[in-house]
Amino acid sequence: MGALGNGTRGLAGGTDLVPLLRDGLVAADRLVDLRRVIPSGIDGTAIGAGTTLAELEADPQIPDALREACRLAASPQLRNMGTIGGNLLQATRCWYWRLNYPCRLHGGDVCHAREGQHREHAIFANDYCASAHPSDVAAALLALDATVETTRAAGPLAGLYRLPDDHDRNLVDLGADELITRIHYERPEQSVYLKAMDRKRWAFALVGVAAARYDDGVRLGLAGVAPIPWRLASLDDLEQATPLPGTAYKLELARALGRRAIAAVGG
Amino acid sequence: MRLTVNGEQHELEAPFGRSLAEALRDDLGLTGTKVSCGEGHCGACTVLVDGAPHLSCITLVHTVDDRAVTTIEGLRDHPLVDAFVRCDALQCGFCTPGQIVSASALVEANPSPSSDEIRHAMAGNLCRCGTYPRIEEAIRTWRD
Ligand SMILES: Cc1cc2nc3c(=O)[nH]c(=O)nc-3n(C[C@H](O)[C@H](O)[C@H](O)COP(=O)(O)OP(=O)(O)OC[C@H]3O[C@@H](n4cnc5c(N)ncnc54)[C@H](O)[C@@H]3O)c2cc1C
Ligand code: SF4
Ligand code: FES
Ligand code: FES
Repeated sequence: MGALGNGTRGLAGGTDLVPLLRDGLVAADRLVDLRRVIPSGIDGTAIGAGTTLAELEADPQIPDALREACRLAASPQLRNMGTIGGNLLQATRCWYWRLNYPCRLHGGDVCHAREGQHREHAIFANDYCASAHPSDVAAALLALDATVETTRAAGPLAGLYRLPDDHDRNLVDLGADELITRIHYERPEQSVYLKAMDRKRWAFALVGVAAARYDDGVRLGLAGVAPIPWRLASLDDLEQATPLPGTAYKLELARALGRRAIAAVGG
Repeated sequence: MRLTVNGEQHELEAPFGRSLAEALRDDLGLTGTKVSCGEGHCGACTVLVDGAPHLSCITLVHTVDDRAVTTIEGLRDHPLVDAFVRCDALQCGFCTPGQIVSASALVEANPSPSSDEIRHAMAGNLCRCGTYPRIEEAIRTWRD
């Protein structure tokens, strides 16, 4: 993600990267200001990767699910700074990882969260690393059937993400010098994003559910439930969840928000 | 590098990784901008960059060399300052510069914000002393 080789990293709004650099979780001896090289702004259903969350929140053309996901993300200042490209590539908020515990995602051989504190963690795909992906925006874009265009290729948003394993601890499948340039979405008939948080504003999602209705049915995208943004074919798929003792409540949240979201889009 | 703050141009030497907050406070002596968490959570360090509230603690100074920065020192004569005093909208005052900077952008875009709009626009400015109701009152009545 924005590594560019030779100790150089790409910096967009810097809201995620600057704290990580400062905490020594990411190393770089040179930074390239990506906002000067990647497109920004909204053109129909194409969104430049450098567009800020504040711009998306304010544009009435943007489907409700994405606008609301932006509106409920982070804080006003962070939305003025943070870009949609950077949001999709933000690092996990797992405190063990942020405090530099030698956990699996850092290349070690244990997941401290599984055995320890994991109230904010995952209910799907959580056997190797139980982190929960924090992006509201990615959940909305999954429901909106988004494709991601990079300097090398274009493909479905889901393909940007991967689950970590012993050979590769990355959660993102992007070349070292590959940049996201644009995101394209399919315009839905109706869409919505619902987010459960510990307080009413200014918190990461415990669970976020996006629903978008198209001709052929309702698409669902979830935040906060798996190490990567998670797509559900239907709410029945929640039966396949593998919650940890501390995350069982998230299954109930996902079920309730899922029902409400589907009802809200008339599905 | 060049830095434009409150309409004035400055030349300064800034090492790789220097934050805008450090440059403002330590290089330019503009200590009205406060740093509390230093990692993007509290809003104490809020300044305007091209008119929009940004967090100076996690903004690298080199990324704003061609943009206009406004700090609390540049808002000395803003009616919001009096409104905060009149409404007693502070206790320790540490969050106040950031609150006023965020509020100034809000009332610029929307001179008569509703309570809900105020809460939405001010959500990124935390106040440890819990003066939120009075901050809201100060913003609601800023022109009085
Ligand atoms: C306190 C806090 C609370 C937050 N709360 C929420 C929340 O509730 N919901 C939510 O969804 N998000 C939340 N966020 C995340 C925030 O929205 C992201 O940090 C922001 O959108 C990242 O964008 P940026 O432009 O600042 O990215 P940067 O920090 O500049 O970059 C992040 C990463 O992406 C890479 N990168 C950036 N752009 C590109 C590109 N175009 N191509 C390739 N690589 C790129 C960088 O190299 C870096 O590795 C929160 C962040 C903070 C700090
Ligand atoms: S959940 Fe993932 S990031 Fe957190 S401790 Fe476990 S392996 Fe590390
Ligand atoms: S000091 Fe910058 S957000 Fe807290
Ligand atoms: S007045 Fe003390 S933190 Fe706000």
